[in-house]
Amino acid sequence: MIVFDNVTKRYPGSQEALSNASFSIEQGEMVYVTGHSGAGKSTLLKLIAAIERPTNGTVLINNQNVSKLRESALPYIRRKFGLVFQDHKLLYERNCYHNVALPLAINGITGADAGKRIRAALDKVGLLNKEKSMPITLSGGEQQRLAIARAVVSRPSILIADEPTGNLDKNYADDILTLFSAFQQVGVTVIIATHDALGTANEHKVLHLDHGRLMSPQVAG
Amino acid sequence: MNIWLTQHSQALRLVISRLRASLFGNLFIALTIAVSLALPVIMYLVLTSFSGLVGSIKNDSHMSLFLAADATLTMVDSIHNTLATHSAIKQFKFISKEAALKQLANDSQNEYIIQTLDENPLPDAFFIEPAALETTAIKQLKSDLAQLDGVETVQIDDAWLKRLNYLLALGENALLVLAMLLGFALFAVIGNTIRMQILTQQEEIEVSQLIGATHSFIRRPFLYSGAIYGLAGALLALIMTSCVILLFNLSIASLAAEYQTDFSLRLPDFTTLIVTCFSAILIGLISAYIAVSKSLFNSIN
Repeated sequence: MIVFDNVTKRYPGSQEALSNASFSIEQGEMVYVTGHSGAGKSTLLKLIAAIERPTNGTVLINNQNVSKLRESALPYIRRKFGLVFQDHKLLYERNCYHNVALPLAINGITGADAGKRIRAALDKVGLLNKEKSMPITLSGGEQQRLAIARAVVSRPSILIADEPTGNLDKNYADDILTLFSAFQQVGVTVIIATHDALGTANEHKVLHLDHGRLMSPQVAG
Repeated sequence: MNIWLTQHSQALRLVISRLRASLFGNLFIALTIAVSLALPVIMYLVLTSFSGLVGSIKNDSHMSLFLAADATLTMVDSIHNTLATHSAIKQFKFISKEAALKQLANDSQNEYIIQTLDENPLPDAFFIEPAALETTAIKQLKSDLAQLDGVETVQIDDAWLKRLNYLLALGENALLVLAMLLGFALFAVIGNTIRMQILTQQEEIEVSQLIGATHSFIRRPFLYSGAIYGLAGALLALIMTSCVILLFNLSIASLAAEYQTDFSLRLPDFTTLIVTCFSAILIGLISAYIAVSKSLFNSIN
């Protein structure tokens, strides 16, 4: 469970990227974070994933206060999340298999056990036949799916995706969103930031940001 | 414990595969490290070889007791008795002025000089081998003997030995300075190499940190790299050193034969091996640690 209480984030030398945001996300929910570009979506996701710490306010992740944690404890919080970055952040000098292996290596899982899980994750996103390919040879949609495979391989309870459908055409985007729904259906909390209303027109919770301010949480549909 | 082992073997395998990927370049880095290590090791071995030589010379250091020209036979007898009972003296030999002159005359080159002499200019002399070798004991003995009746001068044949010792001490200081300077060079070489590696893996480091890698997880492979560079450099340095010393010994052997000694330079022994490897690994670890810590944590926040 994720709870934000009056959270403000200010970067040095700039305006508040996020002002007084309060909301909570339950386990197993699917949440869309919407708003124009620069509205603070990425900041919100980084605060949830314990990549950034709030300037003011409290961020609770599974009842742990992120702002009170020691710097050295943050990596262990981050491992609870599967992250799909806006720019993929794939490692282009490693093949697909080894890209997906990275989170497991960080968790100390190697060998046959890791191999099984990596192939399962690649299978889930439909890239099992590409495990030896280099990421640069994949299409945009495939790269996005590879990033998702990397995010889910360590079986996180919370999946966070920043603009996962950003540069994809409609068919690919629908594929990706179907994939996220599938994870939500098996109990994973899914948080997706998107600048357009694509796929938000259903029963999911929406956190709409405008210039760093959270408009009242609403349930669409 | 199991996780700890897994993490370390994982890091080690990663590092070895990376090192193998650019074997040639890494060999040259190891060679650079080896040269900076080999110089002080060679100097150390040369210095300790000479110290050993000086030690063996000290063991047969002598003291000469020259009597006054007007010393009477009774004086000579009483000195003889004193020397015979002195506890600090191992053994001694008396050479009278006549015997000394005869010895001198044996050399044909001196024949003419001796013929021109009106009287025997040589004094009676005792040649003493002290029992103790410490400088204080020898000084005490010298002052004891100088007070005896009829003794003109007491001479310790160690002036040149002292000079050699000062030279060796100077050499040891130079070695210390050289080792420190080249140690810094080693820091720079290994540190720079690690920094280059970090640069090529900056993306991986950043992603790893974002998805929950601890500082030690990221640092670990680089520490192994540093240690491996150090160890490889040290082993190469010892091979280089051995080759150089063997080469030197070839020419030293003929020189030493002229002096009727079997002096040769020491080859690196087990202690040298351990100390060299250990210090190189330590320098590798420290410089890698500094390089990683400097380059790492500004990637977030």
